[in-house]
Amino acid sequence: MSGLYIHIPFCKRKCNYCDFISFTDKADCFIASYCDALKKEMSFYSQKLQSYSFDTVFIGGGTPSVIDEKFISDILFSLKQNFNITTNAEITIEANPGTLSEEKLLSYRKTGINRLSLGVQSMDDKVLKAIGRIHNAVEAIKSFNLARKCGFDNINIDLMYALPMQTDESLLDTLNKVITLAPEHISAYSLILEERTKLFDMYEQGKIVLPNDDEAYSLHRKCIEYLTQNGYSRYEISNYAKSGRECKHNLNYWQNGEYLGLGIAAHSAIRISENLERWSNTSIFDDYIQNPQAEETHDIILHDEEIFEFVMLSLRKTEGFSLSSFKERFNESFMERYSDKLKKLIDKGWIIVSDDWLRLTDGGLDMQNEVLTELL
Amino acid sequence: MAYSRELIRNFSIIAHIDHGKSTLADRMMELTDTVALRDMENQLLDTMDIERERGITIKSTAVRMFYKHTDGKTYMFNLIDTPGHVDFTYEVSRSLAACEGAVLVVDATQGIEAQTLANVYLALDNSLEILPVINKIDLPSAQPEYVIKEIEDVIGIPAEDAPQISAKNGINVDSVLAQIVDLVPAPQGDENNPLQALIFDSIYDNFKGAVSYVRVKEGTVKAGTRIKFMATGKEFDVTEVGVFTPAPKPTDSLCAGEVGYIAASIKSVADTKVGDTITTAQNGAKEPLPGYKQANPMVFCGIYPADGAYYENLRDALDKLVLNDAALSFEPETSLALGFGFRCGFLGLLHMEIIQERLEREFDLDLVTTAPSVIYKIKRTDGEEMLLDNPSNMPPVTEIEYMEEPLVEAHIMTPSEYVGTIMELCQEKRGIFIDMTYIEETRVNIKYELPLNEIIYDFFDQLKSRSRGYASYDYELKKYIKSDLVKLDFLLNGDMCDALSIIVHRDKAYAKGRAVAEKLQEVIPRQQFEIPIQAAIGGKIIARETVRAVRKDVLAKCYGGDITRKKKLLEKQKEGKKRMRQVGSVSVPSEAFMSVLRIN
Repeated sequence: MSGLYIHIPFCKRKCNYCDFISFTDKADCFIASYCDALKKEMSFYSQKLQSYSFDTVFIGGGTPSVIDEKFISDILFSLKQNFNITTNAEITIEANPGTLSEEKLLSYRKTGINRLSLGVQSMDDKVLKAIGRIHNAVEAIKSFNLARKCGFDNINIDLMYALPMQTDESLLDTLNKVITLAPEHISAYSLILEERTKLFDMYEQGKIVLPNDDEAYSLHRKCIEYLTQNGYSRYEISNYAKSGRECKHNLNYWQNGEYLGLGIAAHSAIRISENLERWSNTSIFDDYIQNPQAEETHDIILHDEEIFEFVMLSLRKTEGFSLSSFKERFNESFMERYSDKLKKLIDKGWIIVSDDWLRLTDGGLDMQNEVLTELL
Repeated sequence: MAYSRELIRNFSIIAHIDHGKSTLADRMMELTDTVALRDMENQLLDTMDIERERGITIKSTAVRMFYKHTDGKTYMFNLIDTPGHVDFTYEVSRSLAACEGAVLVVDATQGIEAQTLANVYLALDNSLEILPVINKIDLPSAQPEYVIKEIEDVIGIPAEDAPQISAKNGINVDSVLAQIVDLVPAPQGDENNPLQALIFDSIYDNFKGAVSYVRVKEGTVKAGTRIKFMATGKEFDVTEVGVFTPAPKPTDSLCAGEVGYIAASIKSVADTKVGDTITTAQNGAKEPLPGYKQANPMVFCGIYPADGAYYENLRDALDKLVLNDAALSFEPETSLALGFGFRCGFLGLLHMEIIQERLEREFDLDLVTTAPSVIYKIKRTDGEEMLLDNPSNMPPVTEIEYMEEPLVEAHIMTPSEYVGTIMELCQEKRGIFIDMTYIEETRVNIKYELPLNEIIYDFFDQLKSRSRGYASYDYELKKYIKSDLVKLDFLLNGDMCDALSIIVHRDKAYAKGRAVAEKLQEVIPRQQFEIPIQAAIGGKIIARETVRAVRKDVLAKCYGGDITRKKKLLEKQKEGKKRMRQVGSVSVPSEAFMSVLRIN
């Protein structure tokens, strides 16, 4: 399986917690030249990846829904011209509730987009304001219903917890409202306070209060409990889905599969001859426009590293990974490779092996970093 | 042939940190063509990285310059750069004793600072001519008139003719040079008298051995002379004498009045002690020059390699440093928590920090250090006496008749407005007030007797913060007194950690125990189980803190773009784990062992 990612680095305004590459000050002419650059990048890789067929496309950002829908259809049109995209491919676009309209949504459907990922984050207006979102809870619900009306039958809602101003009740209320909407998929992320974000500065200056580790843990457990009780199965550390509605594009990352990332600061991982190679595009706007192949980093992932990455990513999934598929991919036995370290981790109750599958326990998932540093 | 003494001027520069000492020295070297412009590296005299970064001088250095005066004659200048911190007061006093004059640099925007004063008084004690210079005159906030008055009021020397300069921009620096000729007395002495050379510093050179930096007071020394160190009585044959250009340059001889170096294939700087007098083995001087003192370590701490495999590297590094630093001592010790390491002795806290930093930088070692301690005297019930420099070696209380701790006499100089708060500090530190004198209306000299073990933790920092940086202090060991001392231990998850034990006065034990336990709670990272931290005297628990268990350690998001970053994060986490010490079941980061120093 392999996936295509397209980065749209534009936003109406930057959210306080966000450290992604995105611009809030680009006029339409810049957006047009960005799309041209994307097309140039596509044609550069089109030849090289002729043998690939892509099962998923993910248009992320930034806020892909902030730019005019004609750019999106334009991009998808070129994408289909340059790459083999399977007929039943999962094609997702990320959207901000504050930027959607019926025309936009209908246009997305027409161009073949069949999955919508809606950045709701919270249903509490105080919280939304504190993290710098441009929409309120009512708009989020409206957008969701509009998307359903326009024919989206596969919708994800993104949520965050451990946010400023967010109480236990506020989170439960959000979960309740979201479950009432009945999306096919829910992502619920514990806030990661990144340096060089507004939220980080506010926290450093004591302008906002965040839950302490114990409180964040309790919110985290509440999330898991509530969502799993309501028909969403937790298939990854922060991801929940109704049966059969897991995000295929993201599953590919967690299987350490191959993907091509297009656009500014996008990451790719493609097997070239024997080794997996991972590179990232430049994160400087003008550089990307001038030369869409400009790379910022490029690593060759050697065998041992690839094994570690595979373990690191696979163990994010609640099902873990199959030992026989590990052997098939890497030509050696996982159990033998890590025999000395496994006992300790099994004794701690973090790892379980049953039949052909190795996975983290509930406690193990919470302590994934500890598990991985042991295996590193 | 000896340079005419009439044409020699030996001086040093006294200045507060950042007031422009090194910059002025650099300008002088430029103006006298001592250093070609292309070789100019800012701050030539401070050759160690640590010196340049911290803006302090640790080792003394010297440089010879030739200055053509307006009287048409060419004068030889010897500039001796001196260290500037309380730990090195003795070294400073010897450097000053090697001069006839001192240039006092005062920042026109700051005025005189306390530290400067201490050194000015040292210079006056050594009968030096003081030449005030007002620096940074080009800054908009410069107030030269005010600073001139301050110098006259506080130090009591005329300053109206003080050159007003900008060392940075080279304004008026030549007038400083001219004044040095006019005002600093030429050296006395006679090259035909028996040799008396004052050692003001010494360094170890891989080729030449221990090299003494000297000021020749009387007589002449040249290669081949058999010399004698008067304090140690040891004799050597001189292999080379020379001067500082500033790079060392051999000369035929060094005569009375001159400054230079003497090499004699000496194996260790322990034989070339600062303050000692060098004379000739035959027909030498009858008396040494006054002022020699043996430099004894006063502060001790355990130094361990962060990774036990580097024990031998640490030993090699200490061996090398000791060659160059007669005041540093070390011997092997072991700790349950830290494994094999060394108990090291230092002149004071700054000396300790500098050695630690040099070990880490120059020898690329990762260290764990324990809290500093002083030397206690213990009278045992069996009548035996012992010296204790490591708290974990303290015998059981039942075997101790009594204990004694070192007491110092501290001189604290401060603007009068801070007297109250400083006296409070001294009382908190179990000080005994001796007396207080007004140096002038706004400046006070306070004398206290203080236990050394109170000074080594945070006294200096407290003094600085309570006086907004204006107070300075100086101390000397006075005596040992009987004292009610106890050993304070710390238990982590029930296991005692020997490397954390400290000796404190009984009255301070509870407060200290609580404070250190709190600090440990901050620095010990949360682990997968709850960790009780207990402070104990004997078997009695006097304070308790808890490090809560960590329950979640996972990255919320990991998609294609996060993989590289996530891997780096894990590697860092793993690295951090490796650097921690295992005390029983608890992983303890290295900074925890210095916790007692970091409490407020």
